[in-house]
Amino acid sequence: MTSSLLTPSMAALVLFGGFFLLLAIRIPVAFSLGLACLPVLLFEPRLSPMVLFNEMFKSYNSFILLAVPFFLLTANLMNSGGITERLMRLSRALVGHFPGGLAQINVILSVFFAGISGSSTADAASQGKLFIEAQVKEGYDLSFSIAITAVSAVLAVIIPPSILMVVWGGVISTSIGAMYLAGIVPGLLIGLAQMATVHAYAKKRNYPVYPRSNFTEIYKAALMSIPAMLTPVIIVGGILLGLFTATESAAVAVLYAAVLSMLFYREMNWKTFIAALIDTGKLSAVALFCVGTASVFGWLLAYYQIPKALLSNVQTWGLGVIGVGLLIAVAFLIVGCFLDAIPAIIIVGTTLQPLAESVGMHPVHFAIVGIVSLAFGLITPPYGMCLMISCAVAKVPLSFAIKDTMIMLIPMLVVLLAIILFPDIVLFLPRLVSPEMLK
Amino acid sequence: MKKILSLLDRLLHFLLGATLLLLIVPVSLQIFSRFTAFIPRYMWTEEMSRFFFIWLVMLGATLGVRERLHFDVDFLPKLSARATHILLRLSQTAMLIFSGVIVYWGIAFTKFGWNQTSELADMPMWWIFIAWPLCGFLWIVFIVDHMLSSSDASESANQGSVI
Repeated sequence: MTSSLLTPSMAALVLFGGFFLLLAIRIPVAFSLGLACLPVLLFEPRLSPMVLFNEMFKSYNSFILLAVPFFLLTANLMNSGGITERLMRLSRALVGHFPGGLAQINVILSVFFAGISGSSTADAASQGKLFIEAQVKEGYDLSFSIAITAVSAVLAVIIPPSILMVVWGGVISTSIGAMYLAGIVPGLLIGLAQMATVHAYAKKRNYPVYPRSNFTEIYKAALMSIPAMLTPVIIVGGILLGLFTATESAAVAVLYAAVLSMLFYREMNWKTFIAALIDTGKLSAVALFCVGTASVFGWLLAYYQIPKALLSNVQTWGLGVIGVGLLIAVAFLIVGCFLDAIPAIIIVGTTLQPLAESVGMHPVHFAIVGIVSLAFGLITPPYGMCLMISCAVAKVPLSFAIKDTMIMLIPMLVVLLAIILFPDIVLFLPRLVSPEMLK
Repeated sequence: MKKILSLLDRLLHFLLGATLLLLIVPVSLQIFSRFTAFIPRYMWTEEMSRFFFIWLVMLGATLGVRERLHFDVDFLPKLSARATHILLRLSQTAMLIFSGVIVYWGIAFTKFGWNQTSELADMPMWWIFIAWPLCGFLWIVFIVDHMLSSSDASESANQGSVI
């Protein structure tokens, strides 16, 4: 490394400075990342723009990332195929009679949805349409309705299956099966925290309640939802039993959702299927394209050993597992405000990984702390996809719902803190079910 | 010109949908061949799906440029209409530069893969590599189209994430 033109700190300045400057003039993230790499690639004698192509090709030429379009397609098939509707009926039968009934349904449906889909933005988009207007009609405040839709959508990437876990597994090589199991309890805890928040709001503001469903109603709703609710069992179970890999499980989920919506619930026709297909192709490709340019950026950071330089400083602080866990969470929470979660994993996750390893933090624990923090980034402005989508559905500016969103974030942050302080919350389930996955 | 663009748009949509559908086939084959005796275990399924995947990403990214789906971050305070317009032109120019880079070095990249074949299916690698210069060229076409058309669509759609 003696012959590099740029020192690590100079390279870091050029890369990060360029990136943020380009972001500020509203160049899309994917292009900003690629453009920021250009000066370095052109002027460093040992590098050439060919690195751009090699690294992009390498990142796309990955079997694991294939799961991303598949999981998104599953979510889109569910929405247009009537599966979401069946789950909504079940949610209503279960929690409709709690204070703030419709908002509780919103949370519970997100939990169910999270078990089938791995995409939070798909959840925010579909539930935004389902709930926001309906809640306002029933007398809920608009900002509350937007906020609860947005915050409950983040569960989709925490409860398995999860696109973020697949990407994490691909980039930082952690067992995806173990992450899936590890995400279940934190996801359910965050869901509970949200239901408690709704309860507090509903009591204070006198939000309406649905009549309690009787046993037959619950039974009927549950019966109709069983095929849909089997999806997470098939996905997680199949991976654990070694029947298929994480990527293959995503393809299984697609086939299963297609069969359910076309043959069992019979609400999908060729036209809606094609629409779901095109929509999925576009959105997943746009996000994955960013993986490519982020990989080039990350490769350059590694080339100049910038992560090492940053971390050598931190390592002198003598932090323990908890200290490092907090540092990781704060880093991801801040980055999550400005960056999409996938490039954040590639750039920040790989940077922090040696630090987590050096203090003996379990890789699965590290992954869940990172993923939960990044999931919260989906609702923090200025760049919080779920909040942006919910606000877009309600046709209000982002600032409209920020206050309620931040209030709802507090109990969720408490859960995150608990996950950091007590790694067993994350690790006990994988340890119980499949200890060999924790290696 | 408008007609050619809309034709191109429909072609890209068709190819995108087809690639995604085709992507499901080799992956499903791979799973089923493991459990059934009568489907042979093809070695090329994994490679084939990866290659369709690369085309899916590049085609989708191209449609993303056309429909302004690539996500950006809006953290500057509201500026005057004039300043916003200048920023928009600036960012479009920067995207043009990047597209130019992708085309120029992409051609070199394709030439580099001219005589290479893939490990399993023995497929010429330039079938894959050509996605870069081709899509880069289409980005230029679409960005120039944006710059020439009136500023009515200056806002990005900004909803292009899957997480």
